[in-house]
Amino acid sequence: MTAEPMYELEISRVFDAPRELVYQAFVDPDQIAQWFGPVGWVVPRDTVEVDARPGGYQRFVMVNADDSSQRSPVDATFSEVIENELLVGEERVEGIPGFEGIATMTMRLEFHDEPGGKTRLELRQGPFTHQLEEGSREGWNSSFGKLDDLLASYV
Amino acid sequence: MKADDRLSVIFAALADPTRRAILARLADGDATVTELAEPFSISLPAISRHLKVLERAGLISRSRSGQWRSSTLEADALKEATDWMERYRIFWDVNFDRLDAHLRRVQQDHADEGRRRPSEKGTQQ
Repeated sequence: MTAEPMYELEISRVFDAPRELVYQAFVDPDQIAQWFGPVGWVVPRDTVEVDARPGGYQRFVMVNADDSSQRSPVDATFSEVIENELLVGEERVEGIPGFEGIATMTMRLEFHDEPGGKTRLELRQGPFTHQLEEGSREGWNSSFGKLDDLLASYV
Repeated sequence: MKADDRLSVIFAALADPTRRAILARLADGDATVTELAEPFSISLPAISRHLKVLERAGLISRSRSGQWRSSTLEADALKEATDWMERYRIFWDVNFDRLDAHLRRVQQDHADEGRRRPSEKGTQQ
């Protein structure tokens, strides 16, 4: 049966590190600045703000290392937080600067113990939906444009 | 319709759980409105409305064979949507490679620190 939802991205990956460390990599601003973003993009430390509580936020900006005018902001509001176990964020994906449109999606990160002190990270992102209002539609499209730029830098 | 406009309509159609369930059912083979309505506690006209949305998005096509109108999944339109998700998948794959390397560095640093200060650790206990 193909009941698998085809509108939602699911990724499962095992990291050779204990759960607490993997969790910290997502909520410690210093660490986010060190690893987040595709190759060729950097996250300046002074753009990172995290408040890992329900109702809190995770904000930062990915900047193209060669052309700092190419920026891709991430602004997520946490709806669920269980330390070392779960992060659920409602993400606002903004389009090009000056653009009104904003698309939202939910990102769920589950941290599970694996044998040998490893951690299985389950990521669910989606649904890939948006309101059919003019502004948000354009924001949706332009945010994919930004993603294309991001991907073009290393694919 | 421009490619990105079409994609907007596709994603809007996919936004509804009943419509996604209908698509999942059609992935197993063509079905009539009555067959599609079976698992749901909603009326036939409601199902028909969902089918119209899916048809407009190009996700299904409908044909009249005899007195029954059956729906067919249009895989190409769905592929367009999943291609977008694939881009996100690539984004995360690469990103997680970096996380992997980062976690190794962090643990190496911890291990080095532990080796440098064994006596301090001992006195804390």
